Amino acid sequence: MSEIGPILRALLRNKTSALLIAGQCALTLAIVVNALFIIVARQELMQRPTGLDGENIVYVQSMGFTRDFRPEAVIREDLDLLRRLPGVVAASPINAIPLSGGGSSRGYSKEENTESEGIGAAYYELDEQGQKALGLNLTAGRWFRPEDVQALPENTDQYPYQAVISQAMARKLYGEDAPLGKRLYFQNGQRSVAIIGVVEHLPSAWVHAENFPYSVVYPRITTEKFIRYALRTEPGRRDELMPVVEQALRKANAGRIIRLRTQSEASARSYRGDKAMNIILASVSGLIVVITALGIVGLATFSVRRRTRQIGTRRALGASQWQVLRYFLVENWLLTTIGVLLGSGLAVALNLYLVETYSLERLNLWYLPAAAVLLWLLGWAAVYAPARRASRISPATATRNI
Amino acid sequence: MLSMHNISKVFRTDLVQTHALRDFSLEVAAGEFVAVTGPSGSGKTTFLNIAGLLENFDGGSYRLDGVDVAGLSDSALARLRNEKIGFIFQSFNLIPDLNLFDNVDVPLRYRGFSAAERKQRIEEALEKVGLGARMKHLPSQLSGGQQQRAAIARALAGSPRFLLADEPTGNLDSLMARQVMELLEQLHEEGTTIVMVTHDAELARRAPRNIHVLDGAVSDLHVVGTPSLRAATV
Amino acid sequence: MFAYYLRLSLASLRRHPALSALMVLAIAIGIGVCMTTLTVHTLMSSDPIPWKSDKLFAVRLDSWGPDRPWEEPNEPPPELNWRDATALMASDIPPRHAAMFKSMFTVQNEDPGFAPYMVEARITHKDFFALFDTPFLHGGGWGDSADKNLEQVVVLGKVANDKLFGGENSVGRTIRLDEREFKVVGVLADWQPVPKFYDVNNGNFDAAEDIYLPWGTAQPFQLRTAGNTNGWKPENIDSFDAFLNSESVWIQFWAELPDTETKARYQAFLDAYVGEQKKLGRFPRPLNNRLSDVNQFMSERHVVGDDNRVLVGLSFLFLAVCLINMVGLLLAKFLGKAPELALRRALGASQWQIVQLNLVEVGLVGLLGGVLGLGLAYGGLEAVKTLYASNDGNDVRLYALNLPLALQAMAIALAASLLAGLYPALKVGRLAPAGLLKTQ
Ligand SMILES: Nc1ncnc2c1ncn2[C@@H]1O[C@H](COP(=O)(O)OP(=O)(O)OP(=O)(O)O)[C@@H](O)[C@H]1O
Ligand SMILES: [Mg+2]
Repeated sequence: MSEIGPILRALLRNKTSALLIAGQCALTLAIVVNALFIIVARQELMQRPTGLDGENIVYVQSMGFTRDFRPEAVIREDLDLLRRLPGVVAASPINAIPLSGGGSSRGYSKEENTESEGIGAAYYELDEQGQKALGLNLTAGRWFRPEDVQALPENTDQYPYQAVISQAMARKLYGEDAPLGKRLYFQNGQRSVAIIGVVEHLPSAWVHAENFPYSVVYPRITTEKFIRYALRTEPGRRDELMPVVEQALRKANAGRIIRLRTQSEASARSYRGDKAMNIILASVSGLIVVITALGIVGLATFSVRRRTRQIGTRRALGASQWQVLRYFLVENWLLTTIGVLLGSGLAVALNLYLVETYSLERLNLWYLPAAAVLLWLLGWAAVYAPARRASRISPATATRNI
Repeated sequence: MLSMHNISKVFRTDLVQTHALRDFSLEVAAGEFVAVTGPSGSGKTTFLNIAGLLENFDGGSYRLDGVDVAGLSDSALARLRNEKIGFIFQSFNLIPDLNLFDNVDVPLRYRGFSAAERKQRIEEALEKVGLGARMKHLPSQLSGGQQQRAAIARALAGSPRFLLADEPTGNLDSLMARQVMELLEQLHEEGTTIVMVTHDAELARRAPRNIHVLDGAVSDLHVVGTPSLRAATV
Repeated sequence: MFAYYLRLSLASLRRHPALSALMVLAIAIGIGVCMTTLTVHTLMSSDPIPWKSDKLFAVRLDSWGPDRPWEEPNEPPPELNWRDATALMASDIPPRHAAMFKSMFTVQNEDPGFAPYMVEARITHKDFFALFDTPFLHGGGWGDSADKNLEQVVVLGKVANDKLFGGENSVGRTIRLDEREFKVVGVLADWQPVPKFYDVNNGNFDAAEDIYLPWGTAQPFQLRTAGNTNGWKPENIDSFDAFLNSESVWIQFWAELPDTETKARYQAFLDAYVGEQKKLGRFPRPLNNRLSDVNQFMSERHVVGDDNRVLVGLSFLFLAVCLINMVGLLLAKFLGKAPELALRRALGASQWQIVQLNLVEVGLVGLLGGVLGLGLAYGGLEAVKTLYASNDGNDVRLYALNLPLALQAMAIALAASLLAGLYPALKVGRLAPAGLLKTQ
């Protein structure tokens, strides 16, 4: 590396060009690091466990419109029909679709008659087949029995007696204490239900809310014109069964509009923005890397072209091909290193701004050395072809007149 | 035509100061043909650059055609250069991407002539140097002598009154050099003032007036012959 | 002279085709990315009703619970409850005002064989149409009495009229909503404000509802909102009337206040009303009634998402990288041309003329980059559309280039490349010609 001295002096004579490459590398690093950081965070968000048998769940929404629509009877008939369909594992009425963005929530606490609003959690209404219909994993206690389930109209004073809650909810409320048998209070601690079971995961409807993992399930069916069922099919048979289900229900009762939605569709819709953001960020990062690499290629090509005679002279004076190649690699390394140093500072500054303005997470500093290595490799990859061309310049060029 | 008094020019680099010209004084009358000789590094090119308004100087005064050039703006200098001065370089300095027509066109464009006038002047100039048939050729398709003649065509297309040549024959063999020299002499006869730097003693002797530059100053100036005398010897 | 510069520049670009392509591409990609995000951003943050957005006010009362505000630092809830909405409608200070909410129906036409479908409807007061200058194709709105008493009349949106009546003038005909008959009194032309400013609770860029019902239908038919219902108070809601009397908020309210004097009077009216209600034990929070005009309201309700802002910022950083890239390449390129430029100076070009020549070349690169960038932006928007597009497809209009945006793109491309070219152009223009001629 005895060449660093002369290379550095040569660079200093072309300060502007050197600074431009270094600056471009710095900005590239700052942008890519921050984009990558956001991408990874979103990816983690989207991959949180749901506890649902996501690929095999279909929701059926039925909107009755005839004046003589009898919800209670229709629900009984529909469930009967759905449960008998071959390929359907289980079916249950359900009030809201997990991860869909639409649902109901309420504040819960472990104390009676409290002033505080407690913690917000989604509440679901399911019947005795609800656990099987969503594919939930029960970790303690039991699920509802048929005799626990109440069918009630929407506006009512009556509340169920029992509830199953998610493990995250249990931990949030009771810490390490066993939640079974405890009472769960709501409406400022004026009402309560008994906790009879805990499921490993059951997320709320709101994927971006803090209360995402908290949920409470009641053994209840709301008897209104708008009815929703969750049903789970045998693995892989969801798409094939959907038209069958729709046909069967339509035939059973024509006075309504039927709509089907899969769990995957509902989740994808909620995460659509995050997924789109990630794709855009990844594409922009990719483009920026390509642009920077091409820029380095262009500048190196210029610099080789300008120095053709000089390189020929050096070769005539005894420099080996490898020495010429090394000159360019070292020069490029110096520039990217300045870029890395500037860029690391810039990346942290950009992240601080994002933290400040958009309450993003603090940057994990391990991203910086990783990006530095990436940038060095990128620089070399970009400069290799022009440098190789330079190293092949014939020593005869020195004497030729151009 | 050209009147320099005590011109000095210093090149400063980090470590050294080079006095390229010191107390350089010279008068060139209109219609003269002056050959400048001198050892390498003596300041000939520097003098020519200053004379051609390509470089400014540090001290002294310079009047070109009665105009004091000190303190003129860049665009005024450009205008003077364009209207009064023609340049001929040792390495021709033709623009490789332009054909002869377009090369000769360059100074005329900056002069702001109409398209018709430019065309006429270009054709005349190229005819004059014997390249009328080569207008569409690129410089790379010509011999060295032809290139230099094209460069001369370019220099005279704007009919400048003052022609500056820095070793115009330096890159040419003696036959070609003689051709170029004859062309310059013809121009001189037509009334153009010429200052030519050369290392070729024989060529220098053909010029009516010789000056010798040494260490950035005119060392001796002797007249080899008056214009009328010279005319008699040819 | 310009034509001459243009010819020289074209030749110069042709001399190094790969390099020129690289510069054009850098600008094009920068512009493409910027225009993509900027288009979405501009349309998201566009004023949906520019001619009167400063006179239309979202009305909010802070009826929220004592413990904490609806949203930090001290935002009142975005909607009203039934009682307060009814009370505000009694005021005659605003020349026009309307309460409103969204509901769902199944809809059929007169033909018994028509397959019913679900439709979103807006239940509102008669002023809605004049308040927002909705364009009518046929007929008009309803009268005051339909807001006070039950009158089964509707105004159809364009799509509903197309679906139910094949686009004919349906005024005077009937449709069935949940098996109840309604008479059509008006049909709207296509009206889709972006964003859907008067109700951003469920989707900022959702389609406008397709059917409008008078306020007088809400109570008799017990129409429930299909939007959000938010409450803070533990109340025993066991009937529709109990719901109407609860503190649950679910109604949007808009008023037109033509001048500051009217606005001040209306604000005083709101404060007086809330003061009175406080005496009855309602409104536990400090007085915090808010009148926000359309644009204020859009910003208070965060209509332009953080992600979008981050992307716009990012894409401008990206453009900066593309520009730095271009500055470097141009500098190298112009320095390579320096001997030729020096020769031009020797032949009589002034510094300024050299700079001009360089800038023409740079401008050419910018122009080419801008045109290509527009193409890329078009592709980018198509891609973004498929990434984001929602089911109702209304937000598709967020991803469409229009002429002003295209011109803006060209302007940015030109300005950006001239900016990038300025330094190299000046630097090379200033080089002393003498030195460069010698090195040849
Ligand atoms: N740009 C410059 N910077 C520093 N020194 C310079 C520069 N140009 C010329 N010089 C110095 O000025 C002196 C005169 O140079 P000049 O080019 O005028 O010589 P010359 O007489 O034309 O020589 P030659 O016959 O070799 O062309 C030399 O010593 C040279 O080193
Ligand atoms: Mg010289």
